[in-house]
Amino acid sequence: MLIWFLPVFLLFLMIGLPVFFGLLAAPGLLLWLSGQERDITLLYRNVYNGMDSFPLMAIPFFMLAGELMNKGGITTRLVEFSQALMGHLRGGLAHVNILSSMLFAGLSGSAVADTSALGSMLIPAMEKQGYTRRFAAAVTAASSVIGPIIPPSGIMIIYAYVMGESVAALFLAGIVPGVMVGVGLMLMVRFMADKYDLPKAQRIVSPGQSMAPVEYWFSFVVLRINICFLLAAFAFLISGALGLEISGTAEIILYLALFGISHIILMSLRRAVSNDFRMVCKKAVAPLQTPIIILGGILIGVFTPTEAAAVAVAYALIIGFFVLHSIKVGEIAGILNRAGITSAVVLLLVGAAMAFKTVVSLSHAPEIMAAYVLSLSENPLILLFLINLLLFIVGMFLDAGPAIIILGPILGPIFTSMGVDSIHFAIIMSVNLTIGLATPPMGLVLFVAASVSRERVETIAKAILPFLAVEVAVIFLITYIPALSMTIPRLTGFAD
Amino acid sequence: MQSVSGWFLAVLRPLAFVNSHLLRIGRAIGIVAVALMVIAILIQVVYRYLLNNALPWPDEAARFGMLWMAGLMAPTAFRRGGFVAIDMFGQALPVFAGKLLTLFLLTISLVVLVISVQIGYAEVTGFGGKFATASLYVPGNLTFTEWIRVPRSWMMLSMFVGVILLTLVNIELILRNLISIIGGADRLPAIPDANMAGAD
Repeated sequence: MLIWFLPVFLLFLMIGLPVFFGLLAAPGLLLWLSGQERDITLLYRNVYNGMDSFPLMAIPFFMLAGELMNKGGITTRLVEFSQALMGHLRGGLAHVNILSSMLFAGLSGSAVADTSALGSMLIPAMEKQGYTRRFAAAVTAASSVIGPIIPPSGIMIIYAYVMGESVAALFLAGIVPGVMVGVGLMLMVRFMADKYDLPKAQRIVSPGQSMAPVEYWFSFVVLRINICFLLAAFAFLISGALGLEISGTAEIILYLALFGISHIILMSLRRAVSNDFRMVCKKAVAPLQTPIIILGGILIGVFTPTEAAAVAVAYALIIGFFVLHSIKVGEIAGILNRAGITSAVVLLLVGAAMAFKTVVSLSHAPEIMAAYVLSLSENPLILLFLINLLLFIVGMFLDAGPAIIILGPILGPIFTSMGVDSIHFAIIMSVNLTIGLATPPMGLVLFVAASVSRERVETIAKAILPFLAVEVAVIFLITYIPALSMTIPRLTGFAD
Repeated sequence: MQSVSGWFLAVLRPLAFVNSHLLRIGRAIGIVAVALMVIAILIQVVYRYLLNNALPWPDEAARFGMLWMAGLMAPTAFRRGGFVAIDMFGQALPVFAGKLLTLFLLTISLVVLVISVQIGYAEVTGFGGKFATASLYVPGNLTFTEWIRVPRSWMMLSMFVGVILLTLVNIELILRNLISIIGGADRLPAIPDANMAGAD
């Protein structure tokens, strides 16, 4: 009897009941009908217990960090940096749009924020260069889905929490798929640039820029520290292979020497580029330090993802106040308010999902569904194809977060019992449903792109098809080649 | 119809006024809660890595803040249309039928919320609420000579308050919908920042 909560839930969802209420109303109704009224209290308790979680706190923190980084100039800096790197290629601004999304992904993890921040800047610029508005909007929408794939990612935090996976493992597993989507989109732009004669752009938009001394010295030191630590990682790798141990004074001397080498490397590169190019790159150092702090901190075991998110907030505040001077004290309340309201909705949803998950287990839904799925085929490859199809269709109608909350507890156990690695399955689900954000008819970023570009959703939906084809190809690549997503978490010891 | 609409409006206006003010207070406390969460976790990191002292309370204090943030700020999102839903079916229906469907959906939400309020009250005042938190203390007197552990009911109260606020908002939305159904949509007071975007 209890298993009927699933069709009832789907019915509620289809007629437009908010997901939060649907997650509680359908199981509650069936518990009541099956005479298990006392378990309704359990639903309430599980919503509360589901929200009372330390790992979940990363969601409001990452949202807050994203809001803070978005304030004043960060987007412009990232776009100018991308343009300095890729603007000279054919279809330059389309490439810039995609690269900016990849960089932006390391700061915010939200496709909506990406579309609205980059779209409002790049769509008019692309139009001015002769691109059609629908093409510009389509590139913006298609590339914005990289946001929740490259870490940090709100969707992956939710999945990890609801399914009991490691957030760090999911973050690391998302890096390659995110880069693949970006590179795939760039290849498509390259192909279209030849076909439609898309223009090149100038590499430097505003020549003769200057920089405040604080920011200059901040970038100067931070850049050298980054290269120094990268070289140190190689040095420790080599010394480990040779059986040499570096510690104590030797370690300090090594770091000082590597800092000096980093300085020499950068000074030699200095002559190869123009002053303007250097300035644009230096201005991108402060914002791009965020993903390095987050991932670096998690990787070397200094922070948990939640702590890394809080440190990212502190970093964004320090940079905004003291280095870039882009945030005013009066703006802080508004930023906290926006981050709080958005994350409150997500937290309630996750709490409701934990209650829903309890009823999923009580009803033996995964076992019943598994038996049904296995009756279709016993070949995991065919089943993964079918599940991708299902997720893609779901993604057309439902946002990634709620879809993951609903489908994770039902589908996850089925595939892990068939031998699919739980992290691998999590990435398949996350990437597929995230791409669903850009698919018609209900793709959220399509609507945001339409609002930013003032182009019709239907027109963007047609123009986005070649890019969606690339993204679907990436989904199948990561589905059938697990090493693509699993290598980094395995190498770093975050997955088996 | 005009008189019925007027009656509904007479109920709606004070309720909308109360909701606006309650939610504004909720948002203000929520803002403080978010800030305190960040500060608590940063204190935890600093103490653990710089002072080599793993404090027990920041984790619990931050969760305390997060629960209150969710309870006090989610109703604002609900009022502004920020709860995720698939609204294609309702939009495909004729306007009047769409409004009736919205009324039906709001009624289901109200049932869920009213039951939640009942359970929430029982939970806060019941057995679970009598326990104390593990590491959060508040002064037991004005001279700060005695410190008592924070009761768990203070944390559980966050969700109870949240569902009460959601219920008030739900009733307001039902009244708005009823007025709209009987043709008084143009007389409805505006909701600030309606149609907020999702979290993805």
